[in-house]
Amino acid sequence: MKKILLATALCATLIHAADVLPVEKRTFEQSKYIPDISLVMDASYVSRSVSDDAIAHLEVPGVVHGLLGSHAHGEHAHSTYNAENGFNLNYAELVLSSSVDPFFTMDGIFHFSPNGVAIEELYFTSTALGNGLRAKGGKFNSNFGYLNEQHHHAWDFADMPLVYEAFLGMHGINETGLQIQWTAPTSTYLMFGAEVLQGDNEQMFGNSTIDLTAINAAADPAQAEYEKAPSMFVGYIKTSFDIEDTTILAGLSYAQGSSRIDHTEDDENKHAFSGDSKLYGADLVIKHSFDSYSSLKWQSEYLYRDMDGVQYANNVSDVFVSPDMAKKQAGLYSQLIYAYDRSWRTGIRYDAFIQNDVEKDGVTVAQPSGLEKYSVMAEYSTSEFARFRLQYDHNNAMFDEAGQRQSIDSVILQANISIGAHGAHSF
Amino acid sequence: MKHFLLFLLLPLTLLAHMNIAVSYPYIGAITKAIGGDHVDTVVLAKGNWDPHFVVPRPSLIAKMRSADALIMNGGQLEIGWLPPLINRAANPKTQTNAKSFLNLSHNVVLLHKPQNVDRSGGDVHPDGNPHFHLNPANILVLAKRIEEFLISLDGEHRTIYEDNYAAFSAEWTKNMEVWKDTMADKRGKKVIQYHDNLAYFNDAYGLQSVGTIEPLPGIPPSSRHTLELIQLIEREKPCCVLHDVYHSTKTAEFISEKTGIKVILMPHDIGALESIEDLKSLFDYLTGAIK
Repeated sequence: MKKILLATALCATLIHAADVLPVEKRTFEQSKYIPDISLVMDASYVSRSVSDDAIAHLEVPGVVHGLLGSHAHGEHAHSTYNAENGFNLNYAELVLSSSVDPFFTMDGIFHFSPNGVAIEELYFTSTALGNGLRAKGGKFNSNFGYLNEQHHHAWDFADMPLVYEAFLGMHGINETGLQIQWTAPTSTYLMFGAEVLQGDNEQMFGNSTIDLTAINAAADPAQAEYEKAPSMFVGYIKTSFDIEDTTILAGLSYAQGSSRIDHTEDDENKHAFSGDSKLYGADLVIKHSFDSYSSLKWQSEYLYRDMDGVQYANNVSDVFVSPDMAKKQAGLYSQLIYAYDRSWRTGIRYDAFIQNDVEKDGVTVAQPSGLEKYSVMAEYSTSEFARFRLQYDHNNAMFDEAGQRQSIDSVILQANISIGAHGAHSF
Repeated sequence: MKHFLLFLLLPLTLLAHMNIAVSYPYIGAITKAIGGDHVDTVVLAKGNWDPHFVVPRPSLIAKMRSADALIMNGGQLEIGWLPPLINRAANPKTQTNAKSFLNLSHNVVLLHKPQNVDRSGGDVHPDGNPHFHLNPANILVLAKRIEEFLISLDGEHRTIYEDNYAAFSAEWTKNMEVWKDTMADKRGKKVIQYHDNLAYFNDAYGLQSVGTIEPLPGIPPSSRHTLELIQLIEREKPCCVLHDVYHSTKTAEFISEKTGIKVILMPHDIGALESIEDLKSLFDYLTGAIK
């Protein structure tokens, strides 16, 4: 009986305490400072005409080994996109954003995936510089081109355009560094941007020393030494104007940096590349809005790269060789998206490499032509916060190690679901 | 020579007025009425499209970049499109903490603030219904707030803003009497809407909203909900469907065919229909629409 009385008294006190202290009146209450939080799920079901094992051994000749959403090599925590046949949990994206003080905002974007947790982006942005100036520092997606800045779930197709994924890898130019952008005081939108970046991109850039003795013990380890970081520079100019309900956005981009491409840990054909690379991009987006919900969007990008350096590998007799290597390669994608209403959208995309010149010691290495891919998709959104997409790809750009073209057909069913703070995307 | 230079510079000083970005046309109209020749307004959203969904066109970044102030509706109406523009324009004068930033929703009492904020109830606005400008009495409140705002930014022209407000207020009060008379016999009438964007208009004139064509805020019509709505119309006998101009009237026409209910297009802002050229014509139209 005493116990019951005591318990009742205790409960009463607790209830009373809760009564007099609503959350917002507690001493040192901090909950008002909780940043905007959102969580985005990116998952897919994939059915491909080629097995996962076989895909790992395919390549776009002269351009890249292994593709289609998986990592070409190396172990790291980055998420992959639709990498396997069957179900894929690509990532859970956690976004935290808030003002820091009157001078900065900060955004953190984290990808949780079966590979681990990656800081996808973490940057502060200036708000008080004025005169059209904005500075950003931290890890972020470069504003190179049009697509590069967007995350996977913001793309109109479940996979990256071929030329982007082949040149830069599926995370694009995602680097640590500084960005400064200036919007001109003109009535027509005109923006100039420059970025100094660490230069870690494993597919095209990079600055770490490569241990060539992993290829062949006879190699001179001093040959592919590190380049002082930051080793990458990006610059771009973008302009936009409207004609009635049609918006035109065009941009020119340039990136340059040292390249240290390390395939010394590959199971077969160990090789490496050391040199300097330049990447040029041109993008054009034309969007016509019929009304608040229906629109037609034509989006195209052209990328050209010029890589100049030395390749390190073993020749057929297992002798270490280091020929000069020059690559001049270009590709493009062009896609048309029709939004019927708020629920339904459909689109087609064409991908192609239109130049593939590879020279070793001044001798042209013949490359196959017709490296193309075709995609079509339809999507249904139940609200702004949930979208389901069905996509079909026909990829003619992949070859096996014997040099035989391997056409790949893929069906991807993608789900993007988000909760929490209302996301708002740029144009 | 000196006089010639002065003559050249004179137009520049005359043009040195405030450049004020506003989210919606109605805010532009009030600001222009109070600011007169001393302000230029730049309206970001189009009046004939859904105010919730505005394409954040890069040309709007260029407009925000050079703005001296930003006036928004607030109440989360701009949540899906204005934040990236504020961010991209990186203009200290249009940041939400700036003295030259005004959120109008803080000056009126919002209706229908949800008890329970959860997206299973659709895309609800946690602060309440943000379409408050459709009560003409609120226009006066907002005009007063904009007068104070302009004075705080440009005290030099205080008397001009005060005079402009006084003139606007007198004219508007007269108009409100006319609208009140026109709407007097509509009090108590039941209406259906697509989305509850006339909540404040209905509140002002005693119209009773008994249902919406969308099952939940922001969720497109479903056949089940439409059938339920038809039954409700037969039971409640509302006078009409007050339909916004930006959603498809397909479902409303289907309902009209089944029940004989009238569908009336109701502009929500200046420019929503071609004939709606200013605030007065907006309310003239709205108050005259229900016969």
